[in-house]
Amino acid sequence: MYTSENIKRRNPVGSSFSRDQGHQQQQDDHHYNSQNENQNRASADPYGPNPLKPAFQQQQQHQQQHQSSVAAYGYRDHYQFGYAPPRKEYSANKYIRFYQENDYILIPTLLTLVSFWTRFRDIKSSDYVVWDEAHFGKFGSFYIKGDFYFDVHPPLGKMLVGLSGALAGYDGTFGFDSGAKYPDINYGFMRIFNAFFGAIMVPLAYWTSQELRMSQAACIFAAVLVLFDNAYLTISRFILLDSMLLAATCFVFFCLTRFRNERHDPFSLDWWLWLAMTGVAIGLVSSIKWVGLFVTALVGLNTIEELWDLFGDLSLPKTTYVKHWVARAACLIALPFSVYVASFALHFAILRNSGPGDAQMSSLFQAGLNGNDFRNNPLYVAYGSKVTIKNTGYGGGLLHSHVQTFPEGSGQQQVTCYHHKDNNNNWVIKNVKSEEVPEDAGSPRILRNGNLIRLGHEQTNRSLHSHRIKAPVTSAQWEVSGYGDDTTNDANDEWVIEVVDENSHHPKDGQLRSLSTTFRLRHRVLGCLLTAENVNLPQWGFRQIEVTCDTRNRTNSPHSIWNIEQHWNDNLPAGEGNLYKSKFWKDFWHLNVAMMTSNNALIPDPDKEDVLASNPSQWPLLAVGLRMCGWGDDAVKFYLLGNPIVWWGGTLSLGVFALTVCYYIVRRQRKFQDVTPMEWDQFLSAGKLLVGGWFLHYIPFCIMGRVTYLHHYFPALYFSLLLFSFVIDHFVNRPGVSRKVRNVVWAVAFTAVTFTFLFFWDVSYGIRGPAAETMTSRQWRGAWNIIDDHKPNTFI
Amino acid sequence: ATGSESTLRQRSTVPKHTPPTDSNTAATEDAPKKVIKSVFTSAEKTNSLIALAGLTALAIVSRFYKINEPDEVVFDEVHFGKFASYYLRGSYFFDVHPPLAKMMLAAMGYFIGYDGHFLFDNIGDKYNDNNVPYIGLRALPAFLGAMTVPLVYMTMREAGFPILTCALAAFFVIFDNMLVTQTRLILLDSMLVFFMMCSIYSYVRFYKTRNNPFSLKWWSWMIATGISIALTTSVKMVGLFTVATIGVAVIWDLWELLDIRRRLTMQQFMNHFYARAIGLILIPVVVYLFWFYVHFAILINSGPGDDFMSTEFQETLKGNTMADGIYVKYGDNITIRHKDTSVYLHSHAHNYPLRYDDGRISSAGQQVTGYSHEDPNNLWQIYSDNVENTKIGNQVKDKDVIRLLHVATSSWLLAHDVASPTMTTNEEITTYSTNEDGSRFNETTFQIILESGGDKLRTMASNFKLLHQSTKVAIWTHSQKLPDWGFEQQEVNGNKNLVQKSNLWLSDNIEGKNASEIDQESSKAVKTRSFILKFLELQGKMISHNAGLTDSHPYQSSPIEWPFLVRGISFWTENETRKQIYLIGNPLGMWIAVASLAVIIGVSGADLLSRRRGFYPLNQDVQKRFYYATGFFFIGWIFHYIPFFLMGRALFLHHYMPALVFSYMVLAAVHGFIFIEGVDGPISDPGPETRPRQLQRAIVPVIAYATGIILMAIHLGSFLFFAPLSYGTSAPSVAGLARRKFLPQWDYHFAK
Repeated sequence: MYTSENIKRRNPVGSSFSRDQGHQQQQDDHHYNSQNENQNRASADPYGPNPLKPAFQQQQQHQQQHQSSVAAYGYRDHYQFGYAPPRKEYSANKYIRFYQENDYILIPTLLTLVSFWTRFRDIKSSDYVVWDEAHFGKFGSFYIKGDFYFDVHPPLGKMLVGLSGALAGYDGTFGFDSGAKYPDINYGFMRIFNAFFGAIMVPLAYWTSQELRMSQAACIFAAVLVLFDNAYLTISRFILLDSMLLAATCFVFFCLTRFRNERHDPFSLDWWLWLAMTGVAIGLVSSIKWVGLFVTALVGLNTIEELWDLFGDLSLPKTTYVKHWVARAACLIALPFSVYVASFALHFAILRNSGPGDAQMSSLFQAGLNGNDFRNNPLYVAYGSKVTIKNTGYGGGLLHSHVQTFPEGSGQQQVTCYHHKDNNNNWVIKNVKSEEVPEDAGSPRILRNGNLIRLGHEQTNRSLHSHRIKAPVTSAQWEVSGYGDDTTNDANDEWVIEVVDENSHHPKDGQLRSLSTTFRLRHRVLGCLLTAENVNLPQWGFRQIEVTCDTRNRTNSPHSIWNIEQHWNDNLPAGEGNLYKSKFWKDFWHLNVAMMTSNNALIPDPDKEDVLASNPSQWPLLAVGLRMCGWGDDAVKFYLLGNPIVWWGGTLSLGVFALTVCYYIVRRQRKFQDVTPMEWDQFLSAGKLLVGGWFLHYIPFCIMGRVTYLHHYFPALYFSLLLFSFVIDHFVNRPGVSRKVRNVVWAVAFTAVTFTFLFFWDVSYGIRGPAAETMTSRQWRGAWNIIDDHKPNTFI
Repeated sequence: ATGSESTLRQRSTVPKHTPPTDSNTAATEDAPKKVIKSVFTSAEKTNSLIALAGLTALAIVSRFYKINEPDEVVFDEVHFGKFASYYLRGSYFFDVHPPLAKMMLAAMGYFIGYDGHFLFDNIGDKYNDNNVPYIGLRALPAFLGAMTVPLVYMTMREAGFPILTCALAAFFVIFDNMLVTQTRLILLDSMLVFFMMCSIYSYVRFYKTRNNPFSLKWWSWMIATGISIALTTSVKMVGLFTVATIGVAVIWDLWELLDIRRRLTMQQFMNHFYARAIGLILIPVVVYLFWFYVHFAILINSGPGDDFMSTEFQETLKGNTMADGIYVKYGDNITIRHKDTSVYLHSHAHNYPLRYDDGRISSAGQQVTGYSHEDPNNLWQIYSDNVENTKIGNQVKDKDVIRLLHVATSSWLLAHDVASPTMTTNEEITTYSTNEDGSRFNETTFQIILESGGDKLRTMASNFKLLHQSTKVAIWTHSQKLPDWGFEQQEVNGNKNLVQKSNLWLSDNIEGKNASEIDQESSKAVKTRSFILKFLELQGKMISHNAGLTDSHPYQSSPIEWPFLVRGISFWTENETRKQIYLIGNPLGMWIAVASLAVIIGVSGADLLSRRRGFYPLNQDVQKRFYYATGFFFIGWIFHYIPFFLMGRALFLHHYMPALVFSYMVLAAVHGFIFIEGVDGPISDPGPETRPRQLQRAIVPVIAYATGIILMAIHLGSFLFFAPLSYGTSAPSVAGLARRKFLPQWDYHFAK
């Protein structure tokens, strides 16, 4: 089948000018069509002149550059090999001409207006707290009140929610209980504020597609995919972080593509501008949710690729190459990090009052919050004092115990570290049996370095105990449990105080002071150190942090060092209110570690099936939707569900792209020239970004152990949508595809997306009345629970 | 680029970037027509054979030294010895590993007259007391472990390395403590590594015949490769890593063949492709399946592995209990037992408390619980939902809608939309007295869905779900105990997640039908099932159970610790004599090997960067050998090591063994790269179209021998120092153990 005749026909790469006659003819025909078309065609070369190409090629490209007029915003008109430069032919009709001259501004404006309308219309239709508004509305309230709270997400998005509340005149007193009816607050404004971010995704998609050198129809189609996706629409219309995250992700990607297109002109003003904008954007997106790190990774990989390309450019002076490195390090590392840190600085500056999140932070930080009563702690800790004991490690919690027992090991009462303040954190410092000293004899005996103590749990009267039994998770260390009481206790309840440091102006005299003295607790018999190392217990331990007795004697590990946080003792005078300032960097790091620890604890409970959670394998083909509120017949019901055509198309395009690339690569190995080298570069470089973006936003969810939800797929979806449009564009703009076919394909695509969107209208804007009556025809997949309550899970 | 920029050693006096060999005019200086058959002289071949023989002898001695000690069950001999016994008995067992190595052990046992009477129950059980020919059983892995050594030598030799380099690699493999310990016991890893090296050796041989495609030699070595990877995978699924290593090389090779400059027509290319598809995919699959066929052919009796398999599978085994099941008819009083937790569905004349401790309110209906003991309150009478046609006496079929009457309290089982006592997400299950009006009839109907065991409800054989008709929940129980008011029995509730595996129940008994009746009713015929169905079921179970081996083990370790030998495994201890076997690699050898891996990464990185800058630091032939031979072994190390990072199961140091062999080969190759000038070549067989090639010889300077001997000395010293722990033949003193504790994590016994 492959005879020598076939082999003769192949063209070596790089000699694309010497095409044979038949091919040329075809191209010419096509060119004839495209002239009449009057539309901007996808450019052949993504970057303009490439510094890496040999000089003679560059010159050629410069010439081409001159011939093509740079007209529109962000759009350079290139032409493909074999074409004469396309010239815009303007219509004689002045209105059409006006449109033709200004389409670069008219089209995005129109798309944005439609986007605003879809996002803002009827936004107050449900007057109750929908879905996670319960969380994020509440967090916004904390900023208005200034109360310190704790959450797993960075603060920027929630501060913006707080801002929207402040602008709406909301005073922060509403509790945002799930499903509660909104009192007299302007929740509509707060929702519109959020929806704004969702709406600007549409023009961003348009402009990004332009930067990826798609045709005008493809740019519009990409924007329409975002515009008419029901999932993007639905999630944008409530007080959530997702719309901000999505908008910021889209913005990063736009900046990135824009910056790439400046690569022919390094260190120009535009180059610097878009590099810095990329940096700021990744700072913003990472300050909203850590998911932003995925798009940051995309920027990072792109940067590595660029630097590698530049490294191979032997004509580039070494100093220039170093400048490339420095510029990127400054704009893509230092700048985003500053933005991220600034968001935390603002967070700490706003939240000045003691609140529900105190316990996540160090004792000193808490003492600095308004309304905190630590300053009334008696200064010196004595036998008989009731205390709470805080681990000094980053993200450390309070020593805790509760009546539940270990299901394995000794089976005694659990001892954990816990970040929530309750009475189970209270411990009473007691004498050990071997030293019979009356506890209330005269003045209280102050604790000093080297003293032997027993720690009694106030609620259950059990003593802090350790023994030669393996700890439940960190099995190399000994278990710590609650055992015995005042009458039955043994030597395994005895702990030695080892004072480590004193964080105040007081002398280091080995006396134990609350808040400021750090100390270790060493088990007298085993010689091991009481340690809590941010390891979460399984579900039976409520995912609290495991406490072990560490035999490695790592005396400098902060996880083995503790301080007294709260202190009660009626026999001692109240403290004089000395405040020791905690340092910002310590607080910043502390909070970030705590966020990471809590995030790691969010793993699915195998015993319990969460109806809201879904598996990553279910997302690309939209096997699952999500009920965002109660499903009563009289409620306005919202169902988080994508536009199926959009989602399926996006996923399909991933496969089509992969197959196409394989096909081209294999054909190139046999030197068949299906696309010109420039088309090939363009196809690969844009596709690489899009597939890479999808991959980086999707695969991590498959690997990470934490519980995942449908909306985690939304950032990945954006990339697959652009790819969807990109792939169609690639195939309809091939030589040999007539204009008619092209128009039909686009018409079908636009119609299908639009009508499916309209068909699923109610899903996004609220289902009124019993779902079963109106929504039966929308139940396209068996596992969607729009109507039926109990649907089996399906994978894929 | 100037030479001063380079930090790399200039490899030779040959110009930095020699043009491709096929345009090299130097070749014409030799007689152009003469095709070089072999680069090695006959004296070298003799030397090589002597080295090979010597190393093989050393390998045998190292593996068989005092193989009779200890005469006790050591570590995982518990499993693999036991499995060999089951093969000899023919009783069905289940293991996560494919059958080949265990069958080899069993075959060995068969030949030496062992009948499988011993079950290897505990570490430390005495062999001599139980009359087990354990030396014979151990001889097989020990022999294959020793034979790995000549394979390593020959592989290196075929890859074109000088005798010194090959001998170094073999020496490292002989005197590695982990390889010694692990291959002289009744374990699978010896076979695994042996077959793995067979695969690598065959592939190298195959690659060297590439200039004579479709010749007999070419076919033979390709099929040998295919069979070897199949055997490797038939020992442990880890063999798939070997498959991947070979696979990558084959794909790369095909990609080169596809290149138009190779002048192959598409038809010729496809011939190459199909040939490899047959030799490296089809034949291996057949071989892999063949061992399972033998596995099923041997294990024909019911045994300890029955419970892992489906009912249909169990019915193919002689003496299985599945055939005991009798069909349940409407009107029968049955007991219903939960599959996972083995408690009976139970109810008693006590009600749920109206208000729970957390303030929630219950229906205060009669309690339904899970109870683990036999009790009259476990009896349920099975009724149809059809009141007119009660179907009494008819058999209960799949998807029938039934009602269950609690016999002792005469009330209907019922589920309703009230939160269960401990889980607010699940529904409360209660009962509803027959004395009341029938208004709650709809809440008492359940659909019975059979998950296995045919389409009629049969005791013991059928696993089923009870699906509540009106609210679509499945009756479910979990190990959560109810408080005092529920007599600490298990909570039963309605689970909204219908696909959960723990929704399954089975009926184990029909009241009043005794065993003799059962015997009359069932014929006890052993059924047959197609091989492919049995294979697919077993393979699926193997994979899911392997992934499920997540229970932590005191001696498990994480992959990142392995190359650095952070922790070993205590295999066996004897309290009286204070002897112990502690699995640990040769510490110095392994650490030097890790350093050599770093050298590989460093050199290839530096080479990549400098070539990007238009500077070619390596002589072309040296570079080619570096990437094609050393690089291939490095890829082998990567593929046999990195995938473990993705595994969720409990992992052990001995999982590093295959990768360790590769790392020693890399170490030897890196030694050669540093100290030996140039390479021997050409080493591939010449083909009809091969142009005459320039003969090249490596120069092995004295320093190479000197450093080689130093490396061997370090390796051997380190081996001997730790040998007491590897062989378990003598007990080091406390001070001696302390001296051997290079890292604090090496947790020996008797160290105090």
